Amino acid sequence: MKTNDPSLAHLMALAQAGDQQAYRTVLVECQRWLTRYFVRRIAPSAIDDLVQDTLVSLHRKRASYDPSRPFLPWLAAIARFRWVDQLRKTYRADETELNEELTADPHDPAIMAKISIDRLLMLLPDGQACAIRLVKIDGLSIIEAAQQSGQSEPLVKVNIHRGLKRLAALIESE
Amino acid sequence: MIMPHSPIDRLVDDLKPIRRVRPADALILVLAATATAVGIVAMQYDLRPDVMRGNPHPIVMIRSGMLLLLGFAALSAVITAARPGVGQTSNGWRWALAAAGLFPVTSAILSALNGGFPADVIASESGPWCLGIGTMGAMMIGGVLTLWLRRGAPTDPYRTGWLVGLAAGSFGTFAYSLHCPSDTVYYIGLWYSLAVGMCAALGRLIVPHLIRW
Repeated sequence: MKTNDPSLAHLMALAQAGDQQAYRTVLVECQRWLTRYFVRRIAPSAIDDLVQDTLVSLHRKRASYDPSRPFLPWLAAIARFRWVDQLRKTYRADETELNEELTADPHDPAIMAKISIDRLLMLLPDGQACAIRLVKIDGLSIIEAAQQSGQSEPLVKVNIHRGLKRLAALIESE
Repeated sequence: MIMPHSPIDRLVDDLKPIRRVRPADALILVLAATATAVGIVAMQYDLRPDVMRGNPHPIVMIRSGMLLLLGFAALSAVITAARPGVGQTSNGWRWALAAAGLFPVTSAILSALNGGFPADVIASESGPWCLGIGTMGAMMIGGVLTLWLRRGAPTDPYRTGWLVGLAAGSFGTFAYSLHCPSDTVYYIGLWYSLAVGMCAALGRLIVPHLIRW
């Protein structure tokens, strides 16, 4: 079954009323969507955990969805929130290799463009986005990131701190 | 294929009908808390005689209207924050805050033109009461708003904390304004600004810890 935003919104409304069948469909579709959404934006071995965390957040906060509004922007706000939260957590250096087989496959390019994670990073100053990409996504150490980016080590740390703070503030605005 | 007892199975098994986060609930709660604060002010401290007569001084109407406008604008932003969505914005509170800022700005300009800020306003006996009553009312209003907000999913807890404090401070100070004996712009520019600003800062400090998810 191929679901789109209006059908997900309808199914989520049924789920809010307690329809387990509809809810299962929503969760399965969200699981697929989130896996595509997070790929290349976090270490591959962390994707499953992040998807599960996001689904649990969706479950706990399902009352905050308004069925009169589009579904994907709501899901994307929750996904971005969990992603930024994940970036804040300690990065494990052995989880750095990106899985090149996984690619994003957006159903609706217009919606995907608006709610993509890359759009968030593009809104950061270059120094902050670069530091976050190198350390939090590519998994380099602070020293390696400093060498690669030309920033000093303290500046890399400051840029990560400020960048994550700014990302959190931008979750919904763009 | 879905495996038995997969995380999705557990979430589906845990599904129960749920009441949606409704903006009307927040509005009713805040209005009820504000009405309670006004009632307490009226019983404990008395309302201004002109307010009691139903013919308030123009400055009372302007400052009360400004506080209500700021309160509703901030409340609207809090309600929007409770139901997240990429691409949605609620910036009306910024304009309301800018308009409310005319009081301290006007006070500062008048002070510069007239040789300083009036000492009697700074030393006013009712000033600390403005802070105290406004803040107490704001605690009650902010409390019920935060309880409502905990069911929502704000993605920027710090900004939401500011907004909760701003809304609660505006409504709480509105309750005090119906008792406030002063009719001067200087007083509003100093003490009202302090009260609302302090409540917003308290919201920033306290609320984020209560709404994390």
